[in-house]
Amino acid sequence: MDDTSRRTAMKLGGATLGAAAFARSIAPLTEWVPTLSSEEFLQKHYKELSREEMETVLRRVEAMTLEEYGAEVTVQDIRPMDGVQFGYALNLSTCVGCRKCAEACHNENNHDRSTNQSYIRVLEMTKGSVSLDLSSVEYDHAVPAEDKYYMPVQCHQCDNAPCVTACPIEATWKEADGIVVVDYDWCIGCRYCEAACPYHARRFNFTKPEIPAEEINPDQAYLSNRIRPVGVVEKCTFCLHRTRVGRLPACLEACPAGSRVFGNLLDPKSEIRWIIENTRVFVLKEDVGTQPRFFYFFDS
Amino acid sequence: MSSLVLLLALVACDRGYSDPSRELAPAAPAGEPQAITIRKPPAVGVWKAPLSDDPDRDPDLPESATCGTCHGPEPELEIVVEPGEPFHTNIEVEHGTLTCDHCHDKDRTLLREANGTKHDFSEVAQLCAQCHGPTAKAYENGAHGGMNGYWDLSQGPRTKNNCVDCHPAHAPDFGQVMPVHPPRDRHMGNH
Amino acid sequence: MDPSSTPKAASPSLARHAITYPRFLWKALGVATDGGVPFYLWMTVLTAVFLVGMNAWSHQIVNGMGVTNLTDHVSWGIYIGNFTYMEGIAAGAVMMVIPAFLYRDRKMYDVVIIGQILAIAAIIATLAFVVVDLGRIDRSWHLIPGIGRFNWPISMLSWDVVVLNGYLLLNLHVVGYMLYSRFQNREPTRAFYLPFVIFTIIWTIFTLSVCAFLYTGLGGRPYWNNAILGPRFIISSFVTGPAFLVLALQIIRRTTRFHVGDAPINTLIKVLRVTVLANLFMVMHEVFAELYTGTAHGASAQYLYFGLHGHDALVPWIWTAMAFNAIAALLLLFTNERTHLLRIDVACVLLLIGIWIEKAMALIIPAFVPSTLHEIVEYLPNALEWKVSLGLFALGLMIFTLGVKLAVAVFTGEMKAEGAPR
Repeated sequence: MDDTSRRTAMKLGGATLGAAAFARSIAPLTEWVPTLSSEEFLQKHYKELSREEMETVLRRVEAMTLEEYGAEVTVQDIRPMDGVQFGYALNLSTCVGCRKCAEACHNENNHDRSTNQSYIRVLEMTKGSVSLDLSSVEYDHAVPAEDKYYMPVQCHQCDNAPCVTACPIEATWKEADGIVVVDYDWCIGCRYCEAACPYHARRFNFTKPEIPAEEINPDQAYLSNRIRPVGVVEKCTFCLHRTRVGRLPACLEACPAGSRVFGNLLDPKSEIRWIIENTRVFVLKEDVGTQPRFFYFFDS
Repeated sequence: MSSLVLLLALVACDRGYSDPSRELAPAAPAGEPQAITIRKPPAVGVWKAPLSDDPDRDPDLPESATCGTCHGPEPELEIVVEPGEPFHTNIEVEHGTLTCDHCHDKDRTLLREANGTKHDFSEVAQLCAQCHGPTAKAYENGAHGGMNGYWDLSQGPRTKNNCVDCHPAHAPDFGQVMPVHPPRDRHMGNH
Repeated sequence: MDPSSTPKAASPSLARHAITYPRFLWKALGVATDGGVPFYLWMTVLTAVFLVGMNAWSHQIVNGMGVTNLTDHVSWGIYIGNFTYMEGIAAGAVMMVIPAFLYRDRKMYDVVIIGQILAIAAIIATLAFVVVDLGRIDRSWHLIPGIGRFNWPISMLSWDVVVLNGYLLLNLHVVGYMLYSRFQNREPTRAFYLPFVIFTIIWTIFTLSVCAFLYTGLGGRPYWNNAILGPRFIISSFVTGPAFLVLALQIIRRTTRFHVGDAPINTLIKVLRVTVLANLFMVMHEVFAELYTGTAHGASAQYLYFGLHGHDALVPWIWTAMAFNAIAALLLLFTNERTHLLRIDVACVLLLIGIWIEKAMALIIPAFVPSTLHEIVEYLPNALEWKVSLGLFALGLMIFTLGVKLAVAVFTGEMKAEGAPR
């Protein structure tokens, strides 16, 4: 056996061993691959689906929810209403910091139970300061506390949304009524939007959300509160499955202090317009140029 | 260079929906706007606490009563309390410098504004408004007070809270509550 | 080895390439996997580390990113840090090209190919670090222009995908063309490579700038949203690239028959002397601007250098980096490379580690601490993230090693086309 062929044989042996070791090292993937469905894999971007294709997708999401979570749910594709631009306002003079809004969001939007996930973070601020640096979210005492005031923060549905600009694949965009949405079936989970958001409004599904079947809110929409897949980013949608059929958002209804006001910015007689025109209003971090649709105001 | 600008402009313009039928939902049906219902307290003041602090009180006495039960023009009960004897001690009035007569009519069956205008208990908001003008204005315009239902009244009704739903008239301070639903993010490691 | 002395052969017809080129690839595979015991040992170790990384990544895919230490507060960590570092190395490798072609440094010509092979290896590792950071690897096809829905030119990340792949293709072309020409023992046609080489230099600056824009373009992260981040990133790339090459060239010189003179190494050391100081100079400016005024925007820098409200996980890291970079600068400034090359080597190792800390840990993580709502959640990578990262470093080193082996074989004439003129 000459040197060359011996070397070739050795190399072949090495390559075989290497291939075997490689297969062994990625063996965990064998439990992952069957979880992928080819329809989901090949699914087009939300905006590219025709009505019929959308129907198929919605029924598939319902079937998957039944299979994986044991819950019968209805998933709809609810479109923005013509002539509506949503706006939200929150009264800092009356908010007591009870976090009922965060809890309502948690239940309404089918968030992961173990992490108490919610799109709303309530900051306990120090009177005499608007510095977030002096705020805390982990307070655990009777509220409102002496010397404190409270500022719930959620997605501001910015008109100049840095998260939308950041996304490399248009998996998140601003809808005609001003709501910034995510196609949870298109997002690749790069989390650039999460880095871009100045309001900590986005959440990433680090694990598959876990919710007992009986706690699942069955009234769902594709772009809002359906149970999100693992590995994608999600965010507040102003409860579009409620608000696009005229209802108030869940966080607003839960507020015991009546601090939250929601409505159509295009309607001059709406409550939200009255607040913007008649009270002292500010937006958070106006200096970053995001042009939010979420306004904070004070009693006059 | 100009071609690059053109290219940028082309790509930058928003790509809409491939299927235009999915673009927008039709405008809300222009039906008759539905009502905003304001929750109302009962038309007469109901005193919910025990009528007497005396543990040996007459068991026939009702658990609760309206103000007029004792104070009306024709009281249903004989007032057995001697003047000066402690009674109504569990009515805690924590409402600035107000005393009973600031809001209650002499016989206590109606509410009375400073200018003498009388209101049913159910019209309490108008009484409150005589002092809390700005808040009343905010309330009227939807900037104060909790609500439920529909923001779009063409699609459904709405219910609004009344002043005393959240602010007990005798001690209107909202008070303190224990917060619910603390954040339990991954990094907090307690799940 | 001087290209001007190589005899020129008539350009073969296109049809002949159809035979020569596959043969070139086949032979390339042969020589790239041929070697002595140290070579096989080296490759086995790298393969093992790579496979450990692949295994860790598989677990991450199956169980979700929850197996990492990342959070909604610190949503990017060591993967994106290493992505940034490797992009710096890839672009820094072009510091061999600039002197060679801009200043017509003929001594650089022969080794410039090593720099470009480093660029290829590093850029593949760079892309790999993005891939492992994705939450949904199964949907990565959404990033392919034309098939997916590419948000170009709006998203800086889409730009980055373009410039990185462009950079990879440019270098693959130049390296492939050079080696293939040498393989046929023909003088490379200038028109086929020189424009590309010049373009690579411009593209490099562009690539580094776009990578910096990924961060500086985020107005909500004051730690990133400053103008010096880009220049600092470029300068520190021109530290790591040359530092790696100084070490690599010495190893190649000792372990192969490839001729590496002192001149290219000395040129790289000269480059290093400037860039190391320029980097420290920019650090000074950044630290001053962030901390002197005491504005809230300096909170991240405060956290990084001194700790914030009792949180100080990165403080030991950054001071190690500062010390390493400062010692390396002193070694470079006060060492005669002709007599004490070893000290220069020590400096290079210190710089590779120091800049790694600066890029992988100190550039990315503090931007998230405090968070945008000023919560302080600390982050350090966990074992799984380390495994994946080391695995991808090993992948880069494997590609670099194989590339260098191939180049050496071609340049020493060990591998050549049959019937090619000598």
